[in-house]
Amino acid sequence: MSEPAEIVVEHLSKWYGNLRAVDDISFTVPKGAIIGFLGPNGAGKTTTIRMLTCFMAPTSGKAVVAGHDVFFESLKVRENIGYLPENTPLYTEMRVNEYLDFRGKLRGMDRKTRKRRISEVTERCWIADRLHSVIGTLSKGYRQRVGLADALLHNPRVLVLDEPTVGLDPSQIRAARKLIAELAGDHTVLLSTHILQEVEMICQRVIIVARGKIVAQGTPEELKNRAGTGIRVEVRGPADQIQSALHALPGVDGVEIGDASAGTSKFVVLGKMTPELRERIASTIAQRGWNLRELRQEGASLEEFFVRITDPAAAAAA
Amino acid sequence: MTNVATLAKRELSALFLSPIGHIVLTIYLGFMGFLFTIYVFVPGQTADMRIMFSVAHLALIFIVPLMTMGLLADEYNSGRIEMLRTSPVTEAEILLGKFLGAFGFYVILVASTLVYVALLSIYGKPDFGSVYAGYIGLILMGALFVSVGLFFSACTRYQIVAAMSSMITLALLGILLELASRYFAVFVSVANPFMRFVREALRYMAVTPHMEDFAKGIVDTRDVAYFGTGTLFFLLLTYLILESRKWR
Repeated sequence: MSEPAEIVVEHLSKWYGNLRAVDDISFTVPKGAIIGFLGPNGAGKTTTIRMLTCFMAPTSGKAVVAGHDVFFESLKVRENIGYLPENTPLYTEMRVNEYLDFRGKLRGMDRKTRKRRISEVTERCWIADRLHSVIGTLSKGYRQRVGLADALLHNPRVLVLDEPTVGLDPSQIRAARKLIAELAGDHTVLLSTHILQEVEMICQRVIIVARGKIVAQGTPEELKNRAGTGIRVEVRGPADQIQSALHALPGVDGVEIGDASAGTSKFVVLGKMTPELRERIASTIAQRGWNLRELRQEGASLEEFFVRITDPAAAAAA
Repeated sequence: MTNVATLAKRELSALFLSPIGHIVLTIYLGFMGFLFTIYVFVPGQTADMRIMFSVAHLALIFIVPLMTMGLLADEYNSGRIEMLRTSPVTEAEILLGKFLGAFGFYVILVASTLVYVALLSIYGKPDFGSVYAGYIGLILMGALFVSVGLFFSACTRYQIVAAMSSMITLALLGILLELASRYFAVFVSVANPFMRFVREALRYMAVTPHMEDFAKGIVDTRDVAYFGTGTLFFLLLTYLILESRKWR
């Protein structure tokens, strides 16, 4: 907790002429974390990433990556970053080993280190069998993995991956996600993606941007709960007693009764959706001796939250 | 500095791997071979390669831009510039790497015609002094042409636009300025010192007079300075363009 964050962004903005692509965003990423960077198309994700990787200069604001300012110490930042851009640009006329060798040389690695690292990363990214293939002949999945190998080659402190699993087939996607999840701890990973399932699976925290601003931040669990519409409870016991007991719990705004048949009733509990509330409902029902059949949070999905929070109508109303 | 060497090596091998590199080689060597066979390697002729040098520079106005058009334009177009600019290399290193790679290819292109020198020396006695001067001139002129081509390649993502702009600029420098200065000589009174200055300035900026000196066998430091400063000028402009793209 006392360690300085690996990525610190303060009031970062980018204007393209009159268009405000990134509007005063600030966030931090702790060392060793995997952060998901979500947002609709055109939200400013790629622009922000490009500023962090020193591809373009911010219009205003500050960003510090791996302890160096992206504007004043851009060369040092680039030494500590491994970046996989969205369209995986590679030199298609080169062979895989030539390309990785070239990239290794650019990063100042001596020959022995290069050889060792190339065999390590190609092993890890499952491209070792195509080491001598010309990149132009490889499928998209393989090319993506070459790009990933390139990003990992110099064992950077920070990894920035822009849509790393797009275009891969399902088994490749699964393998790639496993690989990325394993990278946490040793590396700090900023993962930009559209695939919410991926974010839920791998990321410890999520930042959602829309229209150039950050609209939500938190763990996937927190954000899902914020989208929850109610807790569905099915209990066998006296309906009105259950209802008042549930209503009495802290954070509950209302309890609606659904069907009641043969002694079991279905309720929907409304209010502040937290995991603690669900625990309390369960323990209350158990303490009073009623029989709990089902306890489920409704509408709580990251997709639900995402759609709601990035809806332009909602933003206009807010 | 090692980054420059790495980038230059990669650029050079990419040129040999690409079809455009081979097209350029074919056109140039074919053209030179034609000139050599028809005008130089004829029984009874003096063993003089001068015509090859004078005409070569006109051909190169169109050939060098073909070689350089993709240097940076292709990187922009394919998105690979993102890979380059997020690597720990400076704009200056990228610039020098691209330039030296392309220039290296050019030197190989020109050096391929040394076989004609060898052939001549078997059957005749060429004046090696003027031949060497001619090649020095070609090399220096090539540096200028490549830097012009690199500059226009840095300005756009469309290779064809880069190629055409380079050709027009080189044609201007190479041919038109020379013609303009002759026009001045014929139609404008030389008595006026300002007009005289303009005429001399135009004549200095044109490539042809400088190249002709080399073709004649004269290695004049003024000509060396011309090509040297011209190359540096365009390299500097290219650097400014590269830097400015960071801010867009």
